Amino acid sequence: MPLQGPGVVTLTALLVATLAVVVITMVATMAIGRNAGWVAAGGLAVLAVLVGLRVPELLEGSGVVREVVPWMPTLDVAVRLRLDGLAALFLLIVLGIGALVMAYSARYLSDMTVHRHTGYFAWMLLFAFSMTGLVLADDLVLLFVFWELTTLCSFFLINRSGRRASAPAVRTLLVTAMGGLALLFAVVLIIARTGTTVVSDALASDAWQTDPGFTAAVAVLIALAAMTKSAQFPFHMWLPDAMVAPTPVSAYLHAAAMVKAGIYLLLLFSPALAGTVVWQSILVTSGLITAIMGAVFALRRFDLKEIMAYSTVSQLGFIVALIGVGAPSALATAALYTLAHALFKSALFMVVGIVDQRAGSRDIRLLRGLRRSMPVTFWVTLLAGLSMAGVFPLLGFISKEYLLGQMLEPGGPAWLGLLLATTAVIGATATFAYTGRILLGGFTDYRGSERVDDDLDTHRMPQFVTEAGPGILVPALLPALLGLVLGPAVVWLHPLIGAAGGAAAGTPYDATFALFGGLTVELALSFTIIVLGLVAISRRRALDRFFERRILRFTAIDVVERIRTGSISLGARVGDLTRTDAQPLHLATPWVLLGITAVAAIALAPVVGPVVGPGEPRTDALLLALLLATVVPAVITRSRLTALILVGGAGFVVALWFFALGAIDVGLTQLLVELLTVVALVLVLRRLPAVFHRVRRSRQFVTAAIALGVGALATVVTLAFTGRRDISAAGQYFLDEAYTDTGGTNIVNTILVDYRALDTFGELTVIAVAGIVLMGVLAARPILPELTPDLRPWAGTALLREADNTLPIRVVARWAAPVVIVLSIYLLLRGHYEPGGGFIAALVGGTGFALAYLGASSDRQAPVRWPYRALLSAGVVVGVVSGIGGYIVGSFLKPVRVDIPLPWGGEYGFTSALIFDLGVYFAVVAIIIAVLNELGGVRDRPGEIPERAGVRRAEVAP
Amino acid sequence: MSLALGIGLLAAAGVYLVLQRGMIRIILGFVLLTHAVNLLLIAAGGVARRDAPFFGGDTSSAADPLPQAFVLTAIVIAFAITVVMATLAVVGRGDDDTEPPPSGDEAPSATSEAAS
Repeated sequence: MPLQGPGVVTLTALLVATLAVVVITMVATMAIGRNAGWVAAGGLAVLAVLVGLRVPELLEGSGVVREVVPWMPTLDVAVRLRLDGLAALFLLIVLGIGALVMAYSARYLSDMTVHRHTGYFAWMLLFAFSMTGLVLADDLVLLFVFWELTTLCSFFLINRSGRRASAPAVRTLLVTAMGGLALLFAVVLIIARTGTTVVSDALASDAWQTDPGFTAAVAVLIALAAMTKSAQFPFHMWLPDAMVAPTPVSAYLHAAAMVKAGIYLLLLFSPALAGTVVWQSILVTSGLITAIMGAVFALRRFDLKEIMAYSTVSQLGFIVALIGVGAPSALATAALYTLAHALFKSALFMVVGIVDQRAGSRDIRLLRGLRRSMPVTFWVTLLAGLSMAGVFPLLGFISKEYLLGQMLEPGGPAWLGLLLATTAVIGATATFAYTGRILLGGFTDYRGSERVDDDLDTHRMPQFVTEAGPGILVPALLPALLGLVLGPAVVWLHPLIGAAGGAAAGTPYDATFALFGGLTVELALSFTIIVLGLVAISRRRALDRFFERRILRFTAIDVVERIRTGSISLGARVGDLTRTDAQPLHLATPWVLLGITAVAAIALAPVVGPVVGPGEPRTDALLLALLLATVVPAVITRSRLTALILVGGAGFVVALWFFALGAIDVGLTQLLVELLTVVALVLVLRRLPAVFHRVRRSRQFVTAAIALGVGALATVVTLAFTGRRDISAAGQYFLDEAYTDTGGTNIVNTILVDYRALDTFGELTVIAVAGIVLMGVLAARPILPELTPDLRPWAGTALLREADNTLPIRVVARWAAPVVIVLSIYLLLRGHYEPGGGFIAALVGGTGFALAYLGASSDRQAPVRWPYRALLSAGVVVGVVSGIGGYIVGSFLKPVRVDIPLPWGGEYGFTSALIFDLGVYFAVVAIIIAVLNELGGVRDRPGEIPERAGVRRAEVAP
Repeated sequence: MSLALGIGLLAAAGVYLVLQRGMIRIILGFVLLTHAVNLLLIAAGGVARRDAPFFGGDTSSAADPLPQAFVLTAIVIAFAITVVMATLAVVGRGDDDTEPPPSGDEAPSATSEAAS
């Protein structure tokens, strides 16, 4: 790697720098609004120049620069970057046009008093970053990631331009994301077949020659991906559709850069796929159809931007067809064409934006006389337009000339060359004709057609139009001028285009483009095209009348829309099979399926080992009896409260069972949770009728049968599959090593906060989310009113006096609450060593709060006014922060240990796991307080919320 | 055997309750099912060794700590889910009924929901 010496800009630095431009520009928009476009333009221009300066150096050396930054070593995925001729060409386009468009945006966008445009610049520059990454990527996975990033940037840029843009944005996303899927399939296929994720290694594999099936499959998938991205027939519709985006977006993404990603992909895979019949036939056919179709559609449109969009589609068609031909000279021509197109089309788009901005319309039926009022704009358009039409001596002329040459000799039978060349001539003639339509329609009185569509808004007829300022004209002028300079000076491009073509062909290639190649067939064809084009322009009214009729009764957009709605309704249809409002059907299905699985498992795996260990102790039978005594009546009773109490009792029995099984911490947790569950449900039960709803007897039988079946299976499965081996290897490891590893003696706690802290962190997050859901649901929907119990039988007794009947519990709470809190903190601190820990400590603390709640004389006075929302998020934040220290010693959440000497001798083994446990503590306490406060009746009554909100609004309004 | 029967009992009761009407019964059924699954998890670690897993001293009959750690978090998560379900039971109109009444003697909750 000769270019990686000190002081040389590396590829990684380049990628990081583009990302830095995003951030810097976003910050700049805060201060200077749209003028941040200049900052971005400066940044991208500097990068473009740096890349440009390296190109000669690069081409003299090995031709390739590579860099590797490890990313996912176990998967052999890395940030592998590679700069060769092909990447350099696209990089220059991406950065150079990017800089121009950014500068253009600084005057195109509304000024800061209207909007800061932070989001716009963020997405545009993020796109520049994604494209940079895409063309530099030398890793298949990385390539795919950047590919999808460009799709997403495009979606968001379209989608953020107003309500109208949402449908086109979604359609664009659907089409391009489908291509992304094709690329994903291709990537997976290549990695699986060639055994490497490195693009250059994969392309050098001999699998391409030895396995034609694989090659053909990849060719189809890659072609599909590129055709969706580069808007090739039959996926062309999204590009005109995407024109709802602001003009700079169209100029950059939908003319110069993103649509070129498809071209880049095709060129990148050309070394392996060029010459394959599938590849050739798909690309040449689709490319030429697109070229002609796009040009014809451009002749039928009235919106300048839409004409540009179809023109882009058409021009990309030519490039795709060139790549399909596949000879090194064809690939080099494709590279040259890509550059020429990027230059003239970005200029044209920017001009359309200027016209739109100054005249307030882009409709050629409305625009007139702009040639006089906007002369500079007209000349820029003319310059770029002539390049597009392929007129001597512009760069577009050369690329068209060599395109024709390639089409004449594609290899294969002679009629093929004739067919391709004829098609190319037709396409080029149509290009010439629509260039005339743009120039005449946009700047003279020509109106395209006498037909007036209903969407024509005659009120927007421009009145007094003045020329735009230099700030917006120069960015449009520069690429157009470059097209003029690079035509005669095409020799300057030879090294770059040659290297790009060579990289695409897989063999070194010397470019030999010339402005005048002698009296060739191509020159004659070019002349024919110009003559035919001029005829078409002069006979334009007849042509317009011809094109007025609709060719098809539906548009491609309709087709995509139909597919979209069709797939949604198909999904709904499939969903209907299981959609029902009867909850039991949903709830029963998993049990029935699980039952079938269990039966199958028992039937298939009858061989189980012998039961190990001694028989069960007597206490188990006693616990079972207790369980029976609580569960059976809980199922039978119709009283809600009775059922709740009995289920709570069953929970206590289960807790006892946990103790009996040696799970002290689990038992403690179960005990406390059961307590709090009962409290929470009692709060809920106050709002519900005293008895359960009736269900039909037949249903009781059916459900009982299902339940008994599940129960029997559960018993059988437990007997068959548990207790038949000794302690698990993992369990034995924890028993032996936990103390040495973590310094904790409570092994269960060390598993929670040391070994599997990430799991616990996930659970902590679940608790926080549950708390947020709880608050959200109660904030969004009215809560049921409390049902006043019938208190008549208690008239005259102390039970009716709230202050009196809470006296005992208040007395208890007065001394118990501090004890409970101290106990809870103590349990937290010692959790690592003895029974306790964050969960248990928090639950104990929670019972303290519950006690305080129950001790209050009324709901309105009760509450524990702790900031549980903050506490809930604090739990997650503390969890995250405690884990960061772990990075120093290895990985996230890995505990850091410090032994703190105690004043009375000995030391306390402090570990960051304790702080993590504190996070758990916060979250669990918070959800308990949330339950007490939110369900406990201290919140507003239903009906009050909207009224109060209305009052607040009224106060705010002047 | 007792533990297996206990798990079966809890599972049967849980499934039965879940298949009845009304959110509260579903919640209670869910709680019982949680117990069944938690006990099953502990059982999967083996029930022959029943000493609490603490370091120090003889650990030859200490229980497997791994399922205990799983169950411990499972209990707390189940609590979080329970309170969310309990909240859902008392929002909206009507009561916690989950289906229209079979005979139409009461106002169906779905209709009152739509009318509001």
